[in-house]
Amino acid sequence: MKKFTTKQISVTGITLLVLLLFPLVITQTYIIHVMILVFMFGMLGVAWNIMGGYAGMFSFGQAAFFGIGAYTSSFLVVTFHVNPWIGLIAGGVVAAVMAAAIGYPCSNLRGHYFAIATIAFGEIVRIFFNNWKLVNAAEGITLPMVNESFTNFMFHSSKLPYYYIILSFLLIALVICYFVAHSKMGYYFRAIKESHDVARALGVNVVWYRLIAIMISAFLSAMAGTFYAQYILYIDPESVMLLAISIQLVLISMLGGAGTVMGPVIGAAILIPIAEFTRIWLGHKGTGVDMLIYGFLITLISVYQPQGIWGLFANIGKKKNG
Amino acid sequence: MPEQLLQQIVNGLMIGFMYSLVAIGLTLIWGVMNIVNFAHGDFLMIGMFTSFWLFTIFGLDPLFSIPICFLLLFILGIAIYRFIVSKVMKGPMLAQLVVTFGISIFLSNLAVYFWTPDFRLISTTFLQGTWDVGGINISVPKAIASIGSVITSICLFLFMKKTKTGKAILATEMNRESALLMGINTERINSLSFGIGAALVGVAGAFLSTYYYIYPQVGGLFGTIAFAVVALGGFGSIEGAFIAGILVGLAQTLGGFYFDPSYKYAIVFMIYLITIWIRPQGLLGW
Amino acid sequence: MGKNLWWRMGLCLFLLFTFSFSAQAQQKIIKIGAVYPLTGNIASTGLDCKRGVDLAVDIINGKYDLDLPLAKSEGLPNLGGAKLQIVYADTKGDPKNGMSEAERLIAQEEVVAMIGAYQSSVTKTASQATERLKIPYVCSDSSSPTLTERGYKYFFRVSPHDAIFAHDQLVFLKDLEKSKGKKVQTVALLYENTEFGSNAGKYLKKYAEEFGYKVVADVSYSANATDVTSEVGTLIKSKPDVLMHASYITDAILFTKTFKEMGFAPKGILTMAGYIEPGYLPAVKADGNNIIIRSTFALDLAKKKPLVAKVNELFKKKYGIDMSENAARSFMAPFVLADAINRAKTTESEAVIKALLETDIAGKQVIYPWKGIKFDPQSHQNVYAQGTLVQIQNQDYVTIWPFASAAKDVVWPFPSWKGRK
Repeated sequence: MKKFTTKQISVTGITLLVLLLFPLVITQTYIIHVMILVFMFGMLGVAWNIMGGYAGMFSFGQAAFFGIGAYTSSFLVVTFHVNPWIGLIAGGVVAAVMAAAIGYPCSNLRGHYFAIATIAFGEIVRIFFNNWKLVNAAEGITLPMVNESFTNFMFHSSKLPYYYIILSFLLIALVICYFVAHSKMGYYFRAIKESHDVARALGVNVVWYRLIAIMISAFLSAMAGTFYAQYILYIDPESVMLLAISIQLVLISMLGGAGTVMGPVIGAAILIPIAEFTRIWLGHKGTGVDMLIYGFLITLISVYQPQGIWGLFANIGKKKNG
Repeated sequence: MPEQLLQQIVNGLMIGFMYSLVAIGLTLIWGVMNIVNFAHGDFLMIGMFTSFWLFTIFGLDPLFSIPICFLLLFILGIAIYRFIVSKVMKGPMLAQLVVTFGISIFLSNLAVYFWTPDFRLISTTFLQGTWDVGGINISVPKAIASIGSVITSICLFLFMKKTKTGKAILATEMNRESALLMGINTERINSLSFGIGAALVGVAGAFLSTYYYIYPQVGGLFGTIAFAVVALGGFGSIEGAFIAGILVGLAQTLGGFYFDPSYKYAIVFMIYLITIWIRPQGLLGW
Repeated sequence: MGKNLWWRMGLCLFLLFTFSFSAQAQQKIIKIGAVYPLTGNIASTGLDCKRGVDLAVDIINGKYDLDLPLAKSEGLPNLGGAKLQIVYADTKGDPKNGMSEAERLIAQEEVVAMIGAYQSSVTKTASQATERLKIPYVCSDSSSPTLTERGYKYFFRVSPHDAIFAHDQLVFLKDLEKSKGKKVQTVALLYENTEFGSNAGKYLKKYAEEFGYKVVADVSYSANATDVTSEVGTLIKSKPDVLMHASYITDAILFTKTFKEMGFAPKGILTMAGYIEPGYLPAVKADGNNIIIRSTFALDLAKKKPLVAKVNELFKKKYGIDMSENAARSFMAPFVLADAINRAKTTESEAVIKALLETDIAGKQVIYPWKGIKFDPQSHQNVYAQGTLVQIQNQDYVTIWPFASAAKDVVWPFPSWKGRK
């Protein structure tokens, strides 16, 4: 594992400090909400990136894991009054087990075939939850409002606790991603991404490492799902399991820079505010202009910056050094 | 009971032919360029709107607007390839995936901008009504669309096998490098295939507009199912897409009828998943 | 002396200026937030609701000779003629946006109350936010019964909910048997499987069984469908006397076409929601004839309520189309809020809530065939809200039930498709 340079440490430290102090300076609830979304989608992007960016399995069904996480903890809270923090772990475990169950038979699928299979998987999960009476089917689950406290994972008077919780979740995801990327596992993942045959020739257990990538990714996505449920307090299949969410995650990771630790966070930090603010400024007119701009930007970035925005930063750094 | 079964089979076949028609264009683009075109459903939407406006403004029956839809979408397809898609062909696979998403979002919201999100229906074409064939109701517009789908698929098949350009496309699909060595201008083939793929779905749009409602987001579900159809049939295989379309149509109606309609799309995706577990390259893929 | 005069005149002018300025300052704006799906899949409905709200605000702010609350005066007289201003926000139909937009409108735009949402799932999260921030929310367009079952303090609903609608439909069937001597034994239920449809389906089933009808088919489906022939096949197989259908607009269009195509014609088709959207009839034209729909509003109410005709005239002048059921439902919320704020003489939440609870708008002051508007002290549901049934006859919505306020007689049974154009 390589050593950090002083520059890297100081940049990271300053960024963290700014993010920690940010909500104390800028107190507008709406801005805080957008930041929370940025962190949440950033975290989901990081999760996607572990299997998509590093191991080369482009998932378009990530919303299924997100939804399973949200549903598991909410179901446990409402039915058995289980603490949502335990639900958070339970959701992660359920999602990881589901991921393994679906990932194992898909071991041979690559590229587009894998991508389309994940679309199919995501849609099956959504349709299933939409009709599953035990979890209230399409009606969804409304989380009862209880006293605000950290143990209850619920806060009414301020968004700050949500802000710091999701920020720490994001940091956890980033640390996991960093260690994965810079460990032996990360090299195996990249070998698998290049070619299954080459990886096998190098003695990598392809099936096993693919499963690990999927399971880590599912676990982290499910954590974000529980956060979403505790934050919005209402979930239904239409809002947590939609194909559009999965697609958004791919966009975030790709535009930020797939296969880099920070890429998805950058992607979320750019795309989410664009989506939110164009909706606020233009959406109420009902003309679709906000989405028009959004679509145009995505096209533009993928044509002119196909390595993602992170690549732009990296290039600048390289040029300076060179 | 057999009458009901027969009725469902007929209905399944008719929606299946429509899936086939939507999917063959997609599989062509996919096979030649190895690009998943997520804007395919939106091309379908544009085909439908073209046919709708030709009908509303000029009173042109959707059947006669087919050549116009074909041509318009052909030009649109080539333009999109030339100005956008060709630029990412050498980029990472993810950029290729994402660029068509951007186009998709852009196109569907352009339609919202110009034509509002309202629902529209062409209701007075001369293709109205139903035939009663021995107690089985057959919708006339759907039947015509099915025939159209078969004819279009055969035309495409013959074009690929008999013409020089078609053979060049097939050669590129099989092996890009050797095609290049053989003196085939693969860049031209790419843009041509993208154009033809778009034009075919334009034809599907014209047929679909005779019996389905039209609005800016109409492409979404047809697009998603088309992916499953193409992957089920095998990427790049026209025959595969054609057969898979019919299979999916049948699975959807029969599954819905005998099992539970709210699971019918889940059944379709299930069949797809099971098939590719057994045969990862799809039914007729190589 | 001359100097003194100039001085006095100057003082007068100064006072005049300050008074006129303070008068202007007093004529303040009352901001109300409205969330609707203005883009995305369901945008056409959201824009329709918006039209109703905009017209209502015109009437409240201007002088109109209409028997509606606050129509005759400009603005809110008790607040110095203060004008209403609606601040719209787009939800795209996503519950997450419902919450964040409500919060943003309250914090940034400083709205004093909220209306809207249309989709019940979005209303749920938006009203959670208003409950937390202690801001009144008056809803007149979401119909999920659960909304008023939560015991929220700040949430009020003007319009009837799906349980009321479902109950009404079965009362109608009983009425039909009693006073018209038509026989109905079996019903088939068909509903789209999101929050709205499955809730409606649940209540339809409950009441159908309570009223002694046999439910022969219970079919739920996805509204976003390419083809619904297998659903209709299942219905045909079950041979029901009456079909009860809860749908959105896309599926309403698709099902109507498929009913015709497959020749499905039970004695009656009773429906909810989708069939009354403004896009439905222009799309299906004569194929929509004879379908019965639950409604809170129909233009033919004008025969018994001249107010309806006058409002529709204004609507038509402004938008060039007739007022639809959605626009009419959303139309009432601004009046209820303005009326309460006016009586409270302040925009302070607790006082407005108190005034809302004391709301007593007379039946002649609403554009629906109700006894008026008065909220239940516990659930905050309008106790007078009730549905009517309209039937499409000659491509027009006509009120057919309650029989007492019917404009035309119901066409029953549903004529078979053969021989219809």
